[in-house]
Amino acid sequence: MRRLLWLSVLAAVAIAYPLLLSSPFQQRLGALVLLYAIAASAWNIVGGYAGQVSVGHVVFFGCGAYAAMGAYAKFELSPLFGIPGGIVIAVVLAAVIGVPTLRLSGHYFSMATIAVAETMRLIVTNTDYLGAAVGLSGPTVARNIFDLSFISSLPYYYLFLLVLAITLVITWWMANSRMGFYLRAIKDSERAARSLGAPARRTKLYAFMLSAALTSVAGALYAMMFGFVDPESGLGILISVKILIMAALGGAGLLFGPLVGAAILVPLEEISNSVLGGKGAGLTFVVYGAIIVLIARFQPGGILSLFKRRSKPASEAGAPHAP
Amino acid sequence: MLLEARGITKAFGSFKAVDDASVTLEQGDILGLIGPNGAGKSTFFNCLTGDLRTTAGRVLFEGRDITDLAPEQRAQLGLARTFQLPQTFEGMTVLENVMIGAFLRAAHRTEAETKARAVLERVGMIRLADAPARSLGTPGRKRLEIARALATEPKVLLLDEAMAGLNAHEVKLAIDLVRDIHRAGITLVIVEHIMEVIMSLASRVMVFHQGKEIARGSPREVTANPAVIAAYLGTRAAKAAAGHTPIELMGGPT
Ligand SMILES: Nc1ncnc2c1ncn2[C@@H]1O[C@H](COP(=O)(O)OP(=O)(O)O)[C@@H](O)[C@H]1O
Ligand SMILES: [Mg+2]
Repeated sequence: MRRLLWLSVLAAVAIAYPLLLSSPFQQRLGALVLLYAIAASAWNIVGGYAGQVSVGHVVFFGCGAYAAMGAYAKFELSPLFGIPGGIVIAVVLAAVIGVPTLRLSGHYFSMATIAVAETMRLIVTNTDYLGAAVGLSGPTVARNIFDLSFISSLPYYYLFLLVLAITLVITWWMANSRMGFYLRAIKDSERAARSLGAPARRTKLYAFMLSAALTSVAGALYAMMFGFVDPESGLGILISVKILIMAALGGAGLLFGPLVGAAILVPLEEISNSVLGGKGAGLTFVVYGAIIVLIARFQPGGILSLFKRRSKPASEAGAPHAP
Repeated sequence: MLLEARGITKAFGSFKAVDDASVTLEQGDILGLIGPNGAGKSTFFNCLTGDLRTTAGRVLFEGRDITDLAPEQRAQLGLARTFQLPQTFEGMTVLENVMIGAFLRAAHRTEAETKARAVLERVGMIRLADAPARSLGTPGRKRLEIARALATEPKVLLLDEAMAGLNAHEVKLAIDLVRDIHRAGITLVIVEHIMEVIMSLASRVMVFHQGKEIARGSPREVTANPAVIAAYLGTRAAKAAAGHTPIELMGGPT
Protein backbone atom coordinates (compact mmCIF):
# COMPACT_ATOMS: atom_id res chain seq x y z
CA MET A 1 0.00 0.00 0.00
CA ARG A 2 2.75 2.42 0.94
CA ARG A 3 4.53 1.56 -2.26
CA LEU A 4 1.42 2.34 -4.23
CA LEU A 5 1.21 5.71 -2.50
CA TRP A 6 4.81 6.53 -3.32
CA LEU A 7 4.25 5.45 -6.88
CA SER A 8 1.25 7.76 -7.27
CA VAL A 9 3.21 10.68 -5.83
CA LEU A 10 6.07 9.97 -8.20
CA ALA A 11 3.73 9.76 -11.18
CA ALA A 12 1.97 12.99 -10.19
CA VAL A 13 5.28 14.83 -9.84
CA ALA A 14 6.48 13.50 -13.19
CA ILE A 15 3.29 14.55 -14.96
CA ALA A 16 3.11 17.99 -13.33
CA TYR A 17 6.81 18.89 -13.62
CA PRO A 18 6.91 20.49 -17.08
CA LEU A 19 3.71 22.40 -16.40
CA LEU A 20 4.96 23.84 -13.15
CA LEU A 21 8.55 24.43 -14.21
CA SER A 22 7.73 25.48 -17.71
CA SER A 23 10.70 27.40 -19.05
CA PRO A 24 12.21 25.86 -22.21
CA PHE A 25 15.38 25.05 -20.28
CA GLN A 26 13.47 23.27 -17.54
CA GLN A 27 11.30 21.33 -19.94
CA ARG A 28 14.30 20.30 -21.98
CA LEU A 29 16.07 19.27 -18.79
CA GLY A 30 13.08 17.17 -17.76
CA ALA A 31 12.96 15.47 -21.14
CA LEU A 32 16.67 14.68 -20.98
CA VAL A 33 16.37 13.22 -17.49
CA LEU A 34 13.63 10.91 -18.73
CA LEU A 35 15.58 9.96 -21.84
CA TYR A 36 18.67 9.00 -19.86
CA ALA A 37 16.48 7.27 -17.32
CA ILE A 38 15.12 5.08 -20.15
CA ALA A 39 18.61 4.21 -21.35
CA ALA A 40 19.94 3.61 -17.84
CA SER A 41 16.91 1.48 -16.93
CA ALA A 42 17.47 -0.58 -20.05
CA TRP A 43 21.13 -1.03 -19.10
CA ASN A 44 20.04 -1.96 -15.59
CA ILE A 45 18.44 -5.19 -16.83
CA VAL A 46 21.75 -6.67 -17.86
CA GLY A 47 24.19 -4.50 -15.89
CA GLY A 48 22.24 -4.30 -12.65
CA TYR A 49 20.05 -7.37 -12.30
CA ALA A 50 22.36 -9.77 -14.14
CA GLY A 51 25.55 -8.07 -12.98
CA GLN A 52 27.05 -8.12 -16.46
CA VAL A 53 28.62 -4.68 -16.67
CA SER A 54 28.37 -3.75 -20.33
CA VAL A 55 30.35 -0.65 -21.25
CA GLY A 56 29.41 -1.00 -24.89
CA HIS A 57 25.70 -0.36 -24.61
CA VAL A 58 26.01 2.66 -26.85
CA VAL A 59 26.07 0.32 -29.88
CA PHE A 60 22.43 -0.48 -29.19
CA PHE A 61 21.69 3.18 -28.58
CA GLY A 62 23.32 3.82 -31.95
CA CYS A 63 21.23 1.13 -33.65
CA GLY A 64 18.08 2.98 -32.65
CA ALA A 65 19.43 6.44 -33.41
CA TYR A 66 20.72 5.49 -36.86
CA ALA A 67 17.60 3.48 -37.69
CA ALA A 68 15.32 6.40 -36.81
CA MET A 69 17.34 8.94 -38.77
CA GLY A 70 17.96 6.43 -41.57
CA ALA A 71 14.23 5.86 -42.00
CA TYR A 72 13.88 9.53 -42.83
CA ALA A 73 17.17 10.20 -44.61
CA LYS A 74 17.06 7.08 -46.77
CA PHE A 75 13.38 6.33 -47.23
CA GLU A 76 11.66 9.60 -46.30
CA LEU A 77 9.66 7.73 -43.69
CA SER A 78 8.78 9.05 -40.28
CA PRO A 79 11.61 8.36 -37.84
CA LEU A 80 9.02 6.37 -35.91
CA PHE A 81 9.35 3.64 -38.52
CA GLY A 82 12.97 3.36 -37.55
CA ILE A 83 12.09 2.19 -34.04
CA PRO A 84 11.09 -1.40 -34.86
CA GLY A 85 13.95 -1.62 -37.34
CA GLY A 86 16.39 -0.40 -34.70
CA ILE A 87 15.05 -2.92 -32.20
CA VAL A 88 15.52 -5.80 -34.63
CA ILE A 89 19.07 -4.75 -35.49
CA ALA A 90 19.94 -4.22 -31.81
CA VAL A 91 18.55 -7.60 -30.76
CA VAL A 92 20.37 -9.45 -33.53
CA LEU A 93 23.57 -7.58 -32.73
CA ALA A 94 23.12 -8.37 -29.01
CA ALA A 95 22.84 -12.07 -29.85
CA VAL A 96 25.95 -11.93 -32.03
CA ILE A 97 27.94 -10.03 -29.39
CA GLY A 98 26.43 -11.84 -26.43
CA VAL A 99 27.04 -15.46 -27.36
CA PRO A 100 30.83 -15.20 -27.25
CA THR A 101 31.22 -12.38 -24.69
CA LEU A 102 28.72 -13.42 -22.02
CA ARG A 103 30.89 -16.47 -21.37
CA LEU A 104 33.58 -14.10 -20.19
CA SER A 105 33.55 -13.13 -16.57
CA GLY A 106 33.56 -9.71 -14.97
CA HIS A 107 36.07 -7.26 -16.35
CA TYR A 108 36.70 -9.31 -19.46
CA PHE A 109 33.07 -8.95 -20.48
CA SER A 110 33.24 -5.19 -19.87
CA MET A 111 36.38 -4.86 -21.95
CA ALA A 112 34.95 -6.95 -24.79
CA THR A 113 31.88 -4.71 -24.94
CA ILE A 114 34.06 -1.58 -25.08
CA ALA A 115 36.01 -3.09 -27.95
CA VAL A 116 32.85 -3.90 -29.87
CA ALA A 117 31.42 -0.41 -29.35
CA GLU A 118 34.58 1.37 -30.43
CA THR A 119 34.93 -0.88 -33.47
CA MET A 120 31.37 -0.09 -34.45
CA ARG A 121 31.98 3.63 -34.07
CA LEU A 122 35.01 3.42 -36.36
CA ILE A 123 33.12 1.38 -38.94
CA VAL A 124 30.21 3.82 -39.02
CA THR A 125 32.56 6.81 -39.15
CA ASN A 126 33.97 5.34 -42.35
CA THR A 127 30.69 4.26 -43.93
CA ASP A 128 29.41 6.80 -46.44
CA TYR A 129 25.95 5.25 -46.56
CA LEU A 130 25.51 6.15 -42.89
CA GLY A 131 26.80 9.68 -43.42
CA ALA A 132 30.31 8.84 -42.22
CA ALA A 133 31.63 11.48 -39.80
CA VAL A 134 28.81 13.92 -40.60
CA GLY A 135 26.01 11.56 -39.66
CA LEU A 136 22.35 11.55 -40.67
CA SER A 137 19.64 14.15 -40.14
CA GLY A 138 15.95 13.91 -39.53
CA PRO A 139 13.22 16.12 -40.97
CA THR A 140 14.07 19.78 -40.32
CA VAL A 141 10.45 20.83 -40.57
CA ALA A 142 7.79 18.36 -39.56
CA ARG A 143 5.73 17.21 -42.57
CA ASN A 144 3.11 15.90 -40.19
CA ILE A 145 2.81 14.98 -36.53
CA PHE A 146 4.30 11.53 -37.11
CA ASP A 147 7.66 13.07 -37.90
CA LEU A 148 7.86 13.90 -34.20
CA SER A 149 9.81 17.03 -34.95
CA PHE A 150 8.80 19.67 -32.43
CA ILE A 151 10.44 22.89 -31.36
CA SER A 152 9.13 22.69 -27.81
CA SER A 153 10.50 19.96 -25.52
CA LEU A 154 7.09 19.40 -24.00
CA PRO A 155 5.83 16.74 -26.45
CA TYR A 156 9.13 14.90 -26.09
CA TYR A 157 8.82 15.05 -22.33
CA TYR A 158 5.51 13.22 -22.32
CA LEU A 159 6.58 10.80 -25.02
CA PHE A 160 9.67 9.92 -22.99
CA LEU A 161 7.63 9.64 -19.81
CA LEU A 162 5.38 7.10 -21.51
CA VAL A 163 8.33 5.08 -22.81
CA LEU A 164 10.02 5.21 -19.41
CA ALA A 165 6.85 3.93 -17.77
CA ILE A 166 6.71 1.05 -20.26
CA THR A 167 10.40 0.30 -19.67
CA LEU A 168 9.91 0.20 -15.91
CA VAL A 169 6.85 -2.00 -16.18
CA ILE A 170 8.80 -4.45 -18.36
CA THR A 171 11.70 -4.37 -15.90
CA TRP A 172 9.39 -4.88 -12.93
CA TRP A 173 7.67 -7.77 -14.63
CA MET A 174 11.01 -9.34 -15.51
CA ALA A 175 12.42 -8.85 -12.02
CA ASN A 176 9.46 -10.69 -10.51
CA SER A 177 9.54 -13.52 -12.97
CA ARG A 178 11.69 -16.61 -12.94
CA MET A 179 14.08 -14.83 -15.29
CA GLY A 180 14.70 -12.00 -12.83
CA PHE A 181 15.32 -14.41 -9.98
CA TYR A 182 17.68 -16.44 -12.10
CA LEU A 183 19.59 -13.32 -13.14
CA ARG A 184 20.13 -12.28 -9.54
CA ALA A 185 21.25 -15.79 -8.66
CA ILE A 186 23.65 -15.91 -11.60
CA LYS A 187 25.09 -12.58 -10.50
CA ASP A 188 25.91 -14.01 -7.05
CA SER A 189 27.07 -17.47 -8.12
CA GLU A 190 26.65 -18.69 -11.64
CA ARG A 191 27.87 -22.13 -10.63
CA ALA A 192 25.30 -22.54 -7.89
CA ALA A 193 22.54 -21.15 -10.09
CA ARG A 194 23.31 -23.71 -12.78
CA SER A 195 23.42 -26.53 -10.26
CA LEU A 196 19.85 -25.58 -9.33
CA GLY A 197 18.74 -25.75 -12.93
CA ALA A 198 19.11 -22.14 -14.08
CA PRO A 199 20.21 -22.10 -17.73
CA ALA A 200 22.76 -19.36 -17.10
CA ARG A 201 24.01 -18.64 -20.60
CA ARG A 202 20.57 -18.51 -22.16
CA THR A 203 19.13 -16.37 -19.37
CA LYS A 204 21.97 -13.85 -19.59
CA LEU A 205 21.60 -13.73 -23.36
CA TYR A 206 17.86 -13.03 -23.15
CA ALA A 207 18.52 -10.25 -20.65
CA PHE A 208 21.16 -8.80 -22.94
CA MET A 209 18.78 -8.88 -25.90
CA LEU A 210 15.92 -7.31 -23.95
CA SER A 211 18.24 -4.64 -22.64
CA ALA A 212 19.55 -3.98 -26.17
CA ALA A 213 16.03 -3.59 -27.56
CA LEU A 214 15.07 -1.00 -24.95
CA THR A 215 18.38 0.82 -25.29
CA SER A 216 17.82 1.12 -29.01
CA VAL A 217 14.45 2.75 -28.37
CA ALA A 218 16.22 5.29 -26.17
CA GLY A 219 18.67 5.94 -29.02
CA ALA A 220 15.86 6.46 -31.50
CA LEU A 221 14.09 8.91 -29.18
CA TYR A 222 17.33 10.79 -28.60
CA ALA A 223 17.93 11.20 -32.33
CA MET A 224 14.34 12.34 -32.87
CA MET A 225 14.64 15.02 -30.23
CA PHE A 226 17.94 16.34 -31.56
CA GLY A 227 17.05 15.79 -35.21
CA PHE A 228 20.32 14.19 -36.16
CA VAL A 229 22.84 11.54 -35.25
CA ASP A 230 26.58 11.37 -35.83
CA PRO A 231 29.20 8.85 -34.66
CA GLU A 232 29.93 10.87 -31.51
CA SER A 233 26.36 11.47 -30.35
CA GLY A 234 25.12 8.03 -31.41
CA LEU A 235 28.06 5.75 -30.78
CA GLY A 236 30.47 7.62 -28.49
CA ILE A 237 31.74 5.56 -25.58
CA LEU A 238 30.92 8.41 -23.21
CA ILE A 239 27.21 7.68 -23.59
CA SER A 240 27.81 4.13 -22.37
CA VAL A 241 29.72 5.46 -19.41
CA LYS A 242 27.04 8.03 -18.52
CA ILE A 243 24.28 5.42 -18.64
CA LEU A 244 26.28 3.07 -16.47
CA ILE A 245 27.16 5.70 -13.89
CA MET A 246 23.56 6.87 -13.61
CA ALA A 247 22.35 3.35 -12.92
CA ALA A 248 25.16 2.66 -10.47
CA LEU A 249 24.71 5.96 -8.66
CA GLY A 250 20.98 5.52 -8.20
CA GLY A 251 21.19 1.81 -7.49
CA ALA A 252 21.97 -0.90 -10.01
CA GLY A 253 19.58 -3.82 -9.84
CA LEU A 254 16.86 -1.66 -8.28
CA LEU A 255 13.82 -0.68 -10.31
CA PHE A 256 14.02 3.07 -9.73
CA GLY A 257 17.78 3.29 -9.29
CA PRO A 258 18.52 4.48 -12.85
CA LEU A 259 15.79 7.14 -12.68
CA VAL A 260 17.25 8.51 -9.45
CA GLY A 261 20.73 8.51 -10.96
CA ALA A 262 19.54 10.31 -14.09
CA ALA A 263 17.61 12.86 -12.03
CA ILE A 264 20.85 13.75 -10.23
CA LEU A 265 23.43 13.60 -12.99
CA VAL A 266 21.61 15.08 -15.97
CA PRO A 267 20.80 18.39 -14.22
CA LEU A 268 24.34 18.48 -12.86
CA GLU A 269 25.77 18.14 -16.34
CA GLU A 270 23.31 20.51 -18.03
CA ILE A 271 23.74 23.21 -15.42
CA SER A 272 27.51 22.99 -15.37
CA ASN A 273 27.49 23.11 -19.18
CA SER A 274 25.30 26.21 -19.28
CA VAL A 275 27.22 27.98 -16.52
CA LEU A 276 30.70 27.08 -17.64
CA GLY A 277 30.07 26.75 -21.36
CA GLY A 278 32.52 24.52 -23.22
CA LYS A 279 34.71 24.15 -20.16
CA GLY A 280 31.79 22.44 -18.43
CA ALA A 281 32.30 19.31 -20.47
CA GLY A 282 35.71 18.77 -18.91
CA LEU A 283 34.32 19.30 -15.45
CA THR A 284 31.60 16.74 -16.11
CA PHE A 285 34.23 14.06 -16.66
CA VAL A 286 35.96 14.96 -13.43
CA VAL A 287 32.63 14.68 -11.61
CA TYR A 288 31.89 11.32 -13.23
CA GLY A 289 35.31 10.03 -12.26
CA ALA A 290 34.77 11.15 -8.68
CA ILE A 291 31.35 9.50 -8.61
CA ILE A 292 32.80 6.19 -9.79
CA VAL A 293 35.35 6.30 -7.00
CA LEU A 294 32.75 7.24 -4.38
CA ILE A 295 30.30 4.52 -5.39
CA ALA A 296 33.02 1.90 -5.47
CA ARG A 297 34.35 2.98 -2.09
CA PHE A 298 31.26 3.76 -0.01
CA GLN A 299 27.98 2.62 -1.46
CA PRO A 300 28.29 -0.10 -4.09
CA GLY A 301 24.52 -0.54 -3.92
CA GLY A 302 23.88 3.04 -5.01
CA ILE A 303 21.82 5.77 -3.35
CA LEU A 304 18.52 3.90 -3.29
CA SER A 305 20.05 1.01 -1.39
CA LEU A 306 20.39 3.41 1.55
CA PHE A 307 16.62 3.60 1.75
CA LYS A 308 15.85 -0.05 1.29
CA ARG A 309 13.97 -1.29 4.31
CA ARG A 310 16.38 -3.17 6.50
CA SER A 311 15.17 -6.72 6.82
CA LYS A 312 15.99 -8.31 10.09
CA PRO A 313 19.10 -10.46 10.04
CA ALA A 314 19.34 -14.02 11.19
CA SER A 315 20.41 -12.91 14.65
CA GLU A 316 21.19 -16.39 15.85
CA ALA A 317 23.72 -16.57 12.99
CA GLY A 318 21.81 -19.24 11.22
CA ALA A 319 21.58 -21.83 13.95
CA PRO A 320 18.40 -23.49 12.80
CA HIS A 321 16.29 -25.26 15.34
CA ALA A 322 15.73 -28.91 14.84
CA PRO A 323 12.76 -29.78 12.68
CA MET B 1 20.30 -48.39 -11.64
CA LEU B 2 19.85 -44.71 -10.86
CA LEU B 3 23.33 -43.31 -11.33
CA GLU B 4 26.39 -44.93 -12.75
CA ALA B 5 29.91 -43.69 -13.39
CA ARG B 6 32.15 -45.77 -15.62
CA GLY B 7 35.91 -45.32 -15.59
CA ILE B 8 35.93 -41.63 -14.71
CA THR B 9 39.30 -39.96 -15.10
CA LYS B 10 39.84 -36.26 -14.52
CA ALA B 11 43.25 -34.80 -15.22
CA PHE B 12 44.38 -31.26 -14.48
CA GLY B 13 47.31 -30.99 -16.87
CA SER B 14 49.26 -34.18 -16.39
CA PHE B 15 48.01 -34.64 -12.82
CA LYS B 16 45.18 -37.14 -12.50
CA ALA B 17 42.98 -35.95 -9.64
CA VAL B 18 40.62 -38.86 -10.34
CA ASP B 19 41.95 -41.97 -11.98
CA ASP B 20 39.58 -44.53 -13.48
CA ALA B 21 36.89 -44.43 -10.80
CA SER B 22 33.58 -46.26 -11.21
CA VAL B 23 30.52 -46.37 -9.04
CA THR B 24 26.90 -47.45 -9.19
CA LEU B 25 24.02 -46.09 -7.21
CA GLU B 26 20.71 -47.83 -6.67
CA GLN B 27 17.45 -46.17 -5.76
CA GLY B 28 17.39 -45.76 -1.97
CA ASP B 29 21.14 -45.96 -1.45
CA ILE B 30 23.17 -43.70 0.75
CA LEU B 31 26.60 -43.92 -0.75
CA GLY B 32 29.47 -42.51 1.28
CA LEU B 33 32.56 -41.20 -0.48
CA ILE B 34 35.45 -40.90 1.91
CA GLY B 35 39.16 -40.32 1.74
CA PRO B 36 41.80 -37.96 3.07
CA ASN B 37 41.98 -34.35 1.92
CA GLY B 38 43.02 -34.04 -1.69
CA ALA B 39 41.98 -37.60 -2.47
CA GLY B 40 39.84 -36.45 -5.38
CA LYS B 41 36.38 -36.74 -3.79
CA SER B 42 35.16 -33.31 -4.82
CA THR B 43 36.64 -33.69 -8.27
CA PHE B 44 34.84 -37.01 -8.78
CA PHE B 45 31.67 -35.47 -7.40
CA ASN B 46 31.94 -32.54 -9.81
CA CYS B 47 32.28 -34.94 -12.71
CA LEU B 48 28.99 -36.53 -11.68
CA THR B 49 27.20 -33.17 -11.49
CA GLY B 50 28.67 -31.76 -14.68
CA ASP B 51 30.64 -28.96 -13.05
CA LEU B 52 33.76 -30.55 -14.51
CA ARG B 53 34.15 -32.22 -17.86
CA THR B 54 35.58 -35.68 -17.54
CA THR B 55 38.87 -36.47 -19.26
CA ALA B 56 37.66 -40.01 -19.83
CA GLY B 57 34.72 -42.16 -18.78
CA ARG B 58 30.95 -41.93 -18.94
CA VAL B 59 28.22 -40.90 -16.51
CA LEU B 60 24.79 -42.50 -16.81
CA PHE B 61 21.58 -41.41 -15.13
CA GLU B 62 18.64 -43.83 -15.25
CA GLY B 63 20.45 -45.58 -18.08
CA ARG B 64 20.84 -42.42 -20.12
CA ASP B 65 24.32 -41.12 -20.99
CA ILE B 66 24.59 -37.66 -19.41
CA THR B 67 28.35 -37.21 -19.80
CA ASP B 68 27.91 -34.27 -22.16
CA LEU B 69 25.04 -32.56 -20.36
CA ALA B 70 25.48 -29.21 -18.61
CA PRO B 71 24.88 -28.97 -14.84
CA GLU B 72 21.49 -27.31 -15.35
CA GLN B 73 20.37 -30.11 -17.64
CA ARG B 74 21.38 -32.69 -15.05
CA ALA B 75 19.44 -30.73 -12.44
CA GLN B 76 16.42 -30.94 -14.72
CA LEU B 77 16.76 -34.72 -14.80
CA GLY B 78 16.80 -34.91 -11.01
CA LEU B 79 20.39 -34.53 -9.89
CA ALA B 80 20.95 -31.97 -7.13
CA ARG B 81 24.04 -31.01 -5.20
CA THR B 82 25.53 -28.85 -2.48
CA PHE B 83 28.95 -27.21 -2.52
CA GLN B 84 31.80 -27.88 -0.15
CA LEU B 85 32.22 -24.13 0.19
CA PRO B 86 28.65 -22.82 0.40
CA GLN B 87 27.71 -20.81 -2.69
CA THR B 88 25.06 -18.68 -1.03
CA PHE B 89 23.24 -16.10 -3.14
CA GLU B 90 24.37 -13.24 -0.91
CA GLY B 91 22.09 -10.59 -2.34
CA MET B 92 18.93 -12.56 -1.59
CA THR B 93 16.91 -13.54 1.41
CA VAL B 94 16.92 -17.11 2.68
CA LEU B 95 13.52 -17.66 1.08
CA GLU B 96 14.67 -16.31 -2.28
CA ASN B 97 17.70 -18.59 -2.21
CA VAL B 98 15.38 -21.57 -1.92
CA MET B 99 13.04 -20.16 -4.55
CA ILE B 100 15.87 -20.39 -7.10
CA GLY B 101 15.76 -24.14 -6.60
CA ALA B 102 11.96 -24.21 -6.61
CA PHE B 103 11.77 -22.34 -9.92
CA LEU B 104 13.11 -25.44 -11.66
CA ARG B 105 9.68 -27.03 -11.34
CA ALA B 106 7.53 -23.95 -10.82
CA ALA B 107 7.09 -21.39 -13.56
CA HIS B 108 5.55 -18.67 -11.44
CA ARG B 109 6.71 -16.69 -8.49
CA THR B 110 3.85 -17.50 -6.15
CA GLU B 111 4.14 -21.20 -6.86
CA ALA B 112 7.91 -21.12 -6.31
CA GLU B 113 7.42 -19.22 -3.07
CA THR B 114 4.90 -21.73 -1.76
CA LYS B 115 7.25 -24.60 -2.55
CA ALA B 116 10.22 -22.80 -1.03
CA ARG B 117 8.34 -22.12 2.19
CA ALA B 118 7.40 -25.77 2.45
CA VAL B 119 11.06 -26.75 2.07
CA LEU B 120 12.16 -24.21 4.69
CA GLU B 121 9.53 -25.60 7.04
CA ARG B 122 10.86 -29.08 6.43
CA VAL B 123 14.49 -28.19 7.17
CA GLY B 124 13.59 -26.08 10.19
CA MET B 125 14.54 -22.69 8.75
CA ILE B 126 11.14 -21.16 8.21
CA ARG B 127 11.75 -18.55 10.91
CA LEU B 128 14.68 -17.27 8.88
CA ALA B 129 12.75 -17.03 5.60
CA ASP B 130 12.97 -13.25 5.31
CA ALA B 131 16.47 -12.84 6.73
CA PRO B 132 19.18 -11.81 4.28
CA ALA B 133 21.15 -14.94 3.41
CA ARG B 134 24.43 -13.12 3.98
CA SER B 135 23.62 -12.88 7.68
CA LEU B 136 23.78 -16.67 8.05
CA GLY B 137 26.75 -18.37 9.66
CA THR B 138 28.35 -21.57 8.40
CA PRO B 139 25.74 -23.97 9.84
CA GLY B 140 22.91 -21.90 8.39
CA ARG B 141 24.60 -21.69 5.01
CA LYS B 142 25.22 -25.41 4.89
CA ARG B 143 21.60 -26.10 5.68
CA LEU B 144 20.45 -23.52 3.16
CA GLU B 145 22.48 -25.33 0.49
CA ILE B 146 20.56 -28.48 1.27
CA ALA B 147 17.23 -26.66 1.30
CA ARG B 148 17.90 -25.10 -2.11
CA ALA B 149 18.85 -28.45 -3.57
CA LEU B 150 15.75 -30.10 -2.10
CA ALA B 151 13.57 -27.45 -3.68
CA THR B 152 14.54 -28.77 -7.11
CA GLU B 153 12.73 -32.01 -6.16
CA PRO B 154 15.71 -34.25 -6.94
CA LYS B 155 15.92 -37.99 -7.31
CA VAL B 156 19.55 -38.00 -6.26
CA LEU B 157 21.11 -35.52 -3.85
CA LEU B 158 24.88 -35.18 -3.69
CA LEU B 159 26.26 -33.58 -0.54
CA ASP B 160 29.87 -32.39 -0.56
CA GLU B 161 31.06 -32.21 3.06
CA ALA B 162 27.74 -30.83 4.21
CA MET B 163 28.83 -31.24 7.82
CA ALA B 164 32.33 -29.80 7.72
CA GLY B 165 32.69 -26.88 10.07
CA LEU B 166 29.73 -27.86 12.27
CA ASN B 167 29.99 -28.60 15.96
CA ALA B 168 28.91 -31.94 17.42
CA HIS B 169 25.37 -30.81 18.11
CA GLU B 170 24.94 -29.29 14.66
CA VAL B 171 26.32 -32.46 13.09
CA LYS B 172 23.68 -34.44 14.91
CA LEU B 173 20.95 -32.16 13.61
CA ALA B 174 22.37 -32.42 10.11
CA ILE B 175 22.44 -36.21 10.31
CA ASP B 176 18.79 -36.17 11.34
CA LEU B 177 18.02 -34.00 8.35
CA VAL B 178 19.81 -36.34 5.96
CA ARG B 179 17.91 -39.30 7.41
CA ASP B 180 14.70 -37.41 6.93
CA ILE B 181 15.59 -36.69 3.31
CA HIS B 182 16.42 -40.34 2.75
CA ARG B 183 13.11 -41.44 4.25
CA ALA B 184 11.37 -39.19 1.78
CA GLY B 185 12.76 -41.41 -0.96
CA ILE B 186 15.75 -39.44 -2.15
CA THR B 187 18.92 -41.32 -2.99
CA LEU B 188 22.05 -39.78 -1.54
CA VAL B 189 25.75 -39.51 -2.22
CA ILE B 190 27.59 -38.02 0.71
CA VAL B 191 31.19 -36.91 0.62
CA GLU B 192 32.63 -36.65 4.09
CA HIS B 193 35.82 -37.00 5.89
CA ILE B 194 34.14 -37.18 9.28
CA MET B 195 33.90 -40.94 9.86
CA GLU B 196 31.06 -40.62 12.34
CA VAL B 197 28.80 -39.26 9.67
CA ILE B 198 29.55 -42.03 7.23
CA MET B 199 29.23 -44.70 9.92
CA SER B 200 25.80 -43.61 10.97
CA LEU B 201 24.39 -42.88 7.54
CA ALA B 202 25.95 -44.70 4.63
CA SER B 203 24.72 -48.05 3.39
CA ARG B 204 27.76 -48.41 1.19
CA VAL B 205 31.12 -46.70 1.25
CA MET B 206 33.74 -46.04 -1.36
CA VAL B 207 37.19 -44.94 -0.28
CA PHE B 208 39.38 -42.67 -2.38
CA HIS B 209 43.10 -42.20 -2.05
CA GLN B 210 45.23 -40.20 -4.46
CA GLY B 211 42.53 -40.25 -7.09
CA LYS B 212 41.98 -44.00 -6.97
CA GLU B 213 39.38 -46.17 -5.35
CA ILE B 214 41.15 -48.23 -2.69
CA ALA B 215 38.22 -49.93 -1.02
CA ARG B 216 34.48 -50.32 -1.07
CA GLY B 217 31.91 -52.10 1.02
CA SER B 218 29.86 -51.56 4.15
CA PRO B 219 31.12 -48.91 6.58
CA ARG B 220 32.40 -51.67 8.93
CA GLU B 221 34.24 -53.45 6.16
CA VAL B 222 36.08 -50.42 4.91
CA THR B 223 37.06 -49.10 8.31
CA ALA B 224 38.59 -52.47 9.10
CA ASN B 225 40.51 -52.46 5.82
CA PRO B 226 44.26 -52.00 6.39
CA ALA B 227 44.67 -50.08 3.13
CA VAL B 228 42.09 -47.57 4.31
CA ILE B 229 43.73 -47.12 7.68
CA ALA B 230 47.07 -46.68 5.98
CA ALA B 231 45.65 -44.06 3.63
CA TYR B 232 44.22 -42.06 6.50
CA LEU B 233 47.05 -42.38 8.94
CA GLY B 234 50.12 -43.47 7.01
CA THR B 235 51.45 -47.03 7.10
CA ARG B 236 53.54 -46.68 10.20
CA ALA B 237 50.72 -45.27 12.26
CA ALA B 238 48.54 -48.06 11.00
CA LYS B 239 50.91 -50.66 12.40
CA ALA B 240 51.27 -48.85 15.68
CA ALA B 241 47.53 -48.62 15.95
CA ALA B 242 47.02 -52.33 15.51
CA GLY B 243 45.55 -52.56 19.01
CA HIS B 244 42.88 -49.92 18.50
CA THR B 245 39.68 -50.10 16.60
CA PRO B 246 40.05 -48.19 13.37
CA ILE B 247 36.91 -46.20 13.88
CA GLU B 248 38.35 -44.59 16.99
CA LEU B 249 41.47 -43.56 15.13
CA MET B 250 39.46 -41.83 12.48
CA GLY B 251 37.71 -39.56 14.88
CA GLY B 252 34.59 -41.66 15.18
CA PRO B 253 32.49 -42.32 18.28
CA THR B 254 34.48 -43.68 21.21
N1 LIG C 1 40.77 -27.01 -10.70
C1 LIG C 1 41.85 -27.71 -10.30
N2 LIG C 1 43.04 -27.54 -10.94
C2 LIG C 1 44.13 -28.23 -10.55
N3 LIG C 1 44.14 -29.13 -9.55
C3 LIG C 1 43.00 -29.35 -8.89
C4 LIG C 1 41.79 -28.65 -9.23
N4 LIG C 1 40.81 -29.07 -8.40
C5 LIG C 1 41.37 -29.98 -7.59
N5 LIG C 1 42.68 -30.16 -7.88
C6 LIG C 1 43.59 -31.08 -7.22
O1 LIG C 1 43.03 -32.36 -7.32
C7 LIG C 1 43.24 -33.07 -6.12
C8 LIG C 1 41.92 -33.56 -5.58
O2 LIG C 1 41.19 -32.45 -5.08
P1 LIG C 1 39.73 -32.61 -4.50
O3 LIG C 1 38.91 -33.38 -5.45
O4 LIG C 1 39.23 -31.26 -4.12
O5 LIG C 1 39.99 -33.46 -3.19
P2 LIG C 1 39.03 -33.78 -1.97
O6 LIG C 1 37.70 -33.25 -2.23
O7 LIG C 1 39.06 -35.27 -1.87
O8 LIG C 1 39.67 -33.14 -0.76
C9 LIG C 1 43.98 -32.16 -5.18
O9 LIG C 1 45.35 -32.49 -5.24
C10 LIG C 1 43.72 -30.79 -5.74
O10 LIG C 1 44.82 -29.94 -5.48
MG1 LIG D 1 36.55 -31.85 -1.29
